[in-house]
Amino acid sequence: MAHDWQPDFEQLVDDHQSMVFSIALRMTGDRGLAEEIAQDVFLELDKHLGKIGSPEHACFWLRRVTMSRSADALRRRRVRSTDLWVEFEEHHGAPVEVRDSPLGARLELLLATLPEAQRAALVLRYQEDLTPDEIAATLAEPVATVKSHLQRGLKLLRAKATDHLREYIRDKKEYIRGV
Amino acid sequence: MKCRILAFVLGAAALAAPARTQNSPLPLPPPVEKELAARASNVTEVTLGKNMLGFAARFMNGKDKDEAATRQLIEGLDGIYVRDYTFDKDGQYSIEEIDKLRQYFETSEWSPLVHERERKGAESTDVMVKLVNGESHGMFILTVEPRELTIVLILGPIHMDELGKLKGIGGLGALGSVEKGAKNKDK
Amino acid sequence: MEEFEQELRQAFERRPAPPSLKRKLMDRRADQRGTQRRRGHIQLWQRLAASLILVALVSGAAEWVRHDREERRQGEAARQQVLTALRVTGRALDHMNTQLAAHDRTEQR
Repeated sequence: MAHDWQPDFEQLVDDHQSMVFSIALRMTGDRGLAEEIAQDVFLELDKHLGKIGSPEHACFWLRRVTMSRSADALRRRRVRSTDLWVEFEEHHGAPVEVRDSPLGARLELLLATLPEAQRAALVLRYQEDLTPDEIAATLAEPVATVKSHLQRGLKLLRAKATDHLREYIRDKKEYIRGV
Repeated sequence: MKCRILAFVLGAAALAAPARTQNSPLPLPPPVEKELAARASNVTEVTLGKNMLGFAARFMNGKDKDEAATRQLIEGLDGIYVRDYTFDKDGQYSIEEIDKLRQYFETSEWSPLVHERERKGAESTDVMVKLVNGESHGMFILTVEPRELTIVLILGPIHMDELGKLKGIGGLGALGSVEKGAKNKDK
Repeated sequence: MEEFEQELRQAFERRPAPPSLKRKLMDRRADQRGTQRRRGHIQLWQRLAASLILVALVSGAAEWVRHDREERRQGEAARQQVLTALRVTGRALDHMNTQLAAHDRTEQR
């Protein structure tokens, strides 16, 4: 029963650190910054542990605060899309070549070039698999606004992805030719 | 031997003058006062040293003309010592007791100003002034009536005309009359 | 669009958190708790000191009020004594004047 649930901090960290880290990473495009944000979020959770009533509440709370902290971090830092590309590759750690899908790898990079609001909606939709209503609750935005962000974000991302794929294929061809 | 002589001299000197309260020029009450007070139906005893007079002056109403004058008078004084004994009937005190009182306060520092006696001896008034370099630094009054004894000792630079100005307060008499009386006495 | 969205879901799979994250987090948490305890102790002492100061101030103020009231009472008592002394002096002087006047009348006869 929900009221019998007692939050265990370390357990919550184990259960949700990937989620928190990934949201922060996809929002900021900076691995180091994402790790810092994740730590801050959990430390804040520790302070508010008494108010967390259920595992679902914990999850919701973590998403919301991670989004908020990420937005704060972005505000403190002006992000230009080209710089972010470079940073993303430098800070991600795993080289993009090992990815199964070359498109998938670049989509993450392209995500970083989207406006923040659209990025947030897309991360919560496609990483966290939240419905537009759930996204609206997390971001404290009207559902209509969320849907608009999702729509525009998808369109923009798709357009960028298509352009990028063309470039990628061209680069690959040249590479093969060179060998 | 020398110590004994010194002790004797000091003791004699102490007897000659009324005992003083510590750090105050006001004398300690003579023993006879206790006996008079025991017989009196009404006793008024006021002993105010310099500090107490200064303290009292702070609480005088500066806006009141009389109290302002009083304040000015008492602020410079070193002490006020007043005793007033009222008796139910005549003969509650003896001449010897009055003499004891007078002698207690009458030291070499004091110059008699008034020494008035009724022929029958029932009433008398003694006024003495303490003069320092020709300036008045104290006033002693001893009035004796059949049923009332009053001792007033005021120490400090007291000017007769100041007392005279305080007519309105408690009916102080014009001290000009004291001087006139003294002059008449000298004749 | 559905295929693209599928690609997105795949691309946006959660990344494992760095192994150092939990360790660093727990270290920071332990530090913070230590600091909070110290801060708590300091705050406790500060609160205690503030309470003591407040008590001292209040009792000091109460004492001052009491002292002031007592001083006023004593001052009024002293004032009354002065006035009494001067009244007695005045009566004594009046008596003296009466006696002197009687003496003068006697001498003039």
